[in-house]
Amino acid sequence: MGLISLLGSCNVFNRPEPSATLNSRYNDQQPALSGDGRWLALVSNRNNSNEILLYDLRRETFIDLPGLNQSNVILESPSLSRTGRYLVYISSVQGRPDVALYDRATRRAELLTQGYRNWVRNPQISADGRYIVFETARRGQWDIEVLDRGPLIELDIPDGTPVETP
Amino acid sequence: MSSLVTGCTGYPRYLNFPFDGGGRGLNSRASDLEPQVTSTYIVFISDRNGSQDVYLFDAQQRQLISLPGLNALDEIASHPSISEDGRYVVFGGSRQGKSNIYVYDRQTEQKRNLTADLQAEVRNPIINADGTQIAFEIAQDGQWDIMIYDLSGNPLKLQ
Repeated sequence: MGLISLLGSCNVFNRPEPSATLNSRYNDQQPALSGDGRWLALVSNRNNSNEILLYDLRRETFIDLPGLNQSNVILESPSLSRTGRYLVYISSVQGRPDVALYDRATRRAELLTQGYRNWVRNPQISADGRYIVFETARRGQWDIEVLDRGPLIELDIPDGTPVETP
Repeated sequence: MSSLVTGCTGYPRYLNFPFDGGGRGLNSRASDLEPQVTSTYIVFISDRNGSQDVYLFDAQQRQLISLPGLNALDEIASHPSISEDGRYVVFGGSRQGKSNIYVYDRQTEQKRNLTADLQAEVRNPIINADGTQIAFEIAQDGQWDIMIYDLSGNPLKLQ
């Protein structure tokens, strides 16, 4: 991109295109692999803020996560289910961390620990998407909490796998 | 794990793994850190026995599983991760200021240093559920980058 083109526009400053490679000149951290090994989530500050990015290792390209990264929220500690449908992470608004779940099928993010009242960090989701573990400061030290999303969620299973009826 | 669920409250719900003061449970008097869950196992870090080690908890049987030969007295373990079949445990180990990524095979009870040839700090490994790929961070060129290895330690060529 030439300097001239930047000077030519008078009021629009486009952010530079994010580096299209997995690793950039910036910090690329906290890798999370999907169960099938196709997807890699990471935290990168290549766009001047901490963002969770999702990389398709098969097509060697980044995938959009609409509605995930917002300007006033810090996202970190990503974890992926088997085919990368579910993305679990820490979402901090005004300094308060919550465990959050983003569903790539519905493109919706929800906070799982609203009302939990204790400090949380380092969440991880099981490959099938049913269980989530995270660290909790509930007893005044770091302990492990296990959240069961229940038997009625849509499990993240490979195509063609029969669903067991409970 | 679903067979353990009793009671009549709805989902999502927190599963209650009782605190065990004797150090045989999921949670102990010490810090219990960096958990990773499969539908059967929870692997995590604890310093309940005086050194920072990897622990494996069977969530169905509700008991710890021993990992012979995995933990070393002179090593600080961190960030464990387990394949879904429970065979491979990957973790970071720091010894005398040198960090490496290890793969432990529960079938052979052997651990292998995956990063012996890398002259750089490495951390935060994760193995995928299929047990075929291991991603980790490497300190290169003054910043953190991500590398992916296959189980034999061959680096994946990354764009």
